[in-house]
Formats: sequence, structure tokens, C-alpha cells
Amino acid sequence: MTSLVPTINFNSGLAIGYKDPLGTFNESVSLEGGTHFLIARNGRGKTTLLRTLAGSLKSLSGTFKIQGFLQYLPEDMRFDAETTTKTIFKALISKNSRAAAFDLANRIELDLTKPYGKLSTGNRRKAALIMAEFSIDRNEPNILLLDEPFSGLDAFARETFEEIWRESSENVLRLVSCHPDYESMKMPSVLMIESSVISHHNESGQHWSALKNMLN
Amino acid sequence: MVGSQKHAELSTNSPKPMRLFKLTFSTIFTRKAWVICLIAILLVPFVLPEISSASEKPILIQPARIQAAWATLMICSLFWGLYSAARLGESNAQSGTGEYFRTAGVSPTRQLLEIWLALFCFIVPMALIATGICLFAAMPSNPAEQEMWWVLNLQFLVLFLLVIGPLLALACSLASRFGGISGFGVTFFLWIYGLYGVGYLDNMLKLEANAALQAIWLYSPQYRFADLTQRLYFKTGALSADVFANMVLYFSAILAIHTGISRLTFRTSATA
Repeated sequence: MTSLVPTINFNSGLAIGYKDPLGTFNESVSLEGGTHFLIARNGRGKTTLLRTLAGSLKSLSGTFKIQGFLQYLPEDMRFDAETTTKTIFKALISKNSRAAAFDLANRIELDLTKPYGKLSTGNRRKAALIMAEFSIDRNEPNILLLDEPFSGLDAFARETFEEIWRESSENVLRLVSCHPDYESMKMPSVLMIESSVISHHNESGQHWSALKNMLN
Repeated sequence: MVGSQKHAELSTNSPKPMRLFKLTFSTIFTRKAWVICLIAILLVPFVLPEISSASEKPILIQPARIQAAWATLMICSLFWGLYSAARLGESNAQSGTGEYFRTAGVSPTRQLLEIWLALFCFIVPMALIATGICLFAAMPSNPAEQEMWWVLNLQFLVLFLLVIGPLLALACSLASRFGGISGFGVTFFLWIYGLYGVGYLDNMLKLEANAALQAIWLYSPQYRFADLTQRLYFKTGALSADVFANMVLYFSAILAIHTGISRLTFRTSATA
């Protein structure tokens, strides 16, 4: 029987990048269910790491192991401009989860009847996030790789998603790349790419204010 | 279940059933361009013969209707079908949806199949309507000719679908790698060349032998053989079973080649 706990194991020596390594794990790291943030300055390899995990890129060396139903949400993912969000959800979200998805969309003020092309950047992010969140299979371990999901999102929508993430942290592992914009943001588990080294920082009381000084 | 790659061990994602098909089908449906094709296929075979020279000779109305029905279907498939296939392939690769679906367990082969199938679901009814118009609105009155009419129309339908199917997949996959214009342009040229170009080449070779042109002709897709409009027009009868079987075999071989090329060319993301 498959365990319901999603895991990502990065083995020591795993290097990501294109020609030259952008980041290397100097020690093995294991992530389990819950939200893990991925932080680094621009161009330091956040998207590269996520795309390597997603299988879109090959690692330069080393290995990793993933256990769970994987979804990678690229930062610039978009749908057909003339199709409404409601139609997109009907096509991609199962009947059982659809009502809850529509309810969430209403709560965070995402207009389901507007064509996707007429939505603002933030609302497009909401649509993609809802689609991914409600494509999760509750009966198996899930892994969501989210590339900059907060870009363009308003504070209310962001808090709503963070609440959903807390509620479903047992069988869903979320690796979220982001650039936090407030000092008090709690980040209990962080993968940091700095000086081409990828390291794991996990302390329960950890905040962005303490971590940002570590990024040069 | 755990699989392995060179650098990674991934739990095998079991894809949710036909999500990309549903999304593509909804997208095509929402864009509504198919409605124009549908209206054209339904109306042109009835309106065009009435306003053409055929209206002066009632005996020509039915042949004109046959030509109008199949010509409209081909024009719709050529312009709307291939264009849509190219746009869908390009969009899947460049919008991030292809990459998303691949990580969610939908392999590139399956993505190509689901996109193709969604589009084919619109082409098939159009082809059935064109066939239906020929069968029910242009049926010969002679009972002896009626059975032949059924067979010939169904043969035409099968050959048409065998030709358009792989071209749609090719347009989609070429567009995913080289862009929409390439996907549409190449398949548009291929079809026009296979319908008319090879005929001209054939005539040229009859006038003057040329080894290079002969080789090109030999390896060209002879789509003109799938166009049975003239047989319908002149009521020359259905293809014999062995000729039809050979044609099905020939176009199935082209289908196999195009499927292979399509799969090799198809990309799920713009950047590898």
C-alpha cells in the first residue's frame, strides 16, 4: 500500500543548472507534507530547481527522489484568452471538487464568467492556483511545485490560500518559490539558494526578516 | 509505483482522465469559429447551386450540390481545421499548459492524442454532414445507382478522414516546435500539393522524363486519389473492394509516417 506522506529527497551532490551549476546540495535534504518555501535572488535558480523536479530539465549531477502525485505550476501558465474561468474549471476539476472550487473563487473575488484573457494578472494567478489545488487527489500523496504563486495576488487571496495550505498539509507537499513582501511572514521550512549552494533552513519561529539577510 | 530516470526517481503520476481533451474541446467550442464552418457546410451545398449556372439546368443541381458539399468541407478543414490544430499545438507548448500536464502524468504522446482528438471531434460531424447531404439531397433516382451511391460516399468519407486526421496531428506538432505559421503553412502546402501538385508533376513527367522529379513524385503523398468528387459527379460507381483496400492501406501508411513525425516533433514546452 502506498504511503499517504508525500516526500522529496534531494541527495547530496545534486546540482541544478544549464551549462554551469546554479545550485548544488552539499548535504541530503528530505521534505515531507506541508509548505516549504524556496527563496533566492532573481536568476539564482528557483525556477530551474522546480523545473528539474518537474522533469522538464535534467539535473547536472546527483539524484533526487519524489513520492506523490506531482503538479508543477509554471509562473507564466495561461489558458485560452476567450475561454471563461468557469469553463476551464469544468474541464479540469472533477465534479466532486467543482462546487468547492467555485465557492473559493467567489470568496476571493475571481469572476468566473469573464473570459480568461480579460482577467488581471492576479486573477489569472488565482485561477491557476484554484485549478491546481482542486486537482489534488485526497487519496494519495500530492506534490505541488508552485512558481511565484503570490505575484499579483492581493493580501486577502494570499491569506486564503495559506489557510488552505495549512489545512491540507498532511498529504500535500508544496514547494513554493516566492519573494516575500512583508517582514513578519512565517517561513518555518525554507530551501535557500545562495552562492550556488542549496540549503535547508527549518525552524518553527523562522520569519522572512531573519532569512533575507542571508541572501546576498 | 516508483519509476526511475537517469537522475531522478519519480513516483509515477497516474493522469486524471482526459483533462487536456476536455480543456481543448471546451476551448474550441468557446471560440465558436466551428459554427461558421458548420453553417457553411449546411448551407453552401443548397444555396450555391441555386445561384450558379446550374440553376438554369435542373439536371446539374445535384452534381453541383455534391461538389459544393465536399469542396466546402475541404476548405473548412484546410483553413479552420489546420489553423486550429496549429494554434492549439503552439499554445500548448508556449502557455505552460503542456508542461503542467506533462508533470501531472500526461505524456507528450497522450497530449498530442488528446489535442488531436478534441479537434477531430469537430471535423468528424462536419464530414458526416457533408456525406449526409450527398446521400440524402443528391441521391440518384435510379434504384440501381442508389446502392453504389451509398458505398461511394462512405468510401469518400473514410478516405477523407484518413487524409485529414494525420495532417491535423502534423500541424499541431510542427506548430508546437516551430510556431503556428510553420505548422499551418507546411500542412496546408502538403495537402494542396498532394491534391493538385502531384497531378501537374505527373503530367510533366509524361511529357519529359526526369529522374529527380520522378523520385519526388514517387515519394509524394497522392492525396488526389482520396478525392472522389469526380466519381460522384459523373456517377462512375464505387471503387472496387480491392482498389479501396489498397487506398486504405496507402493512406494508412502515410498516417503511420505522419504519426511518427508528429510524435518526434511534438513538444510540450517552448524551452527544454
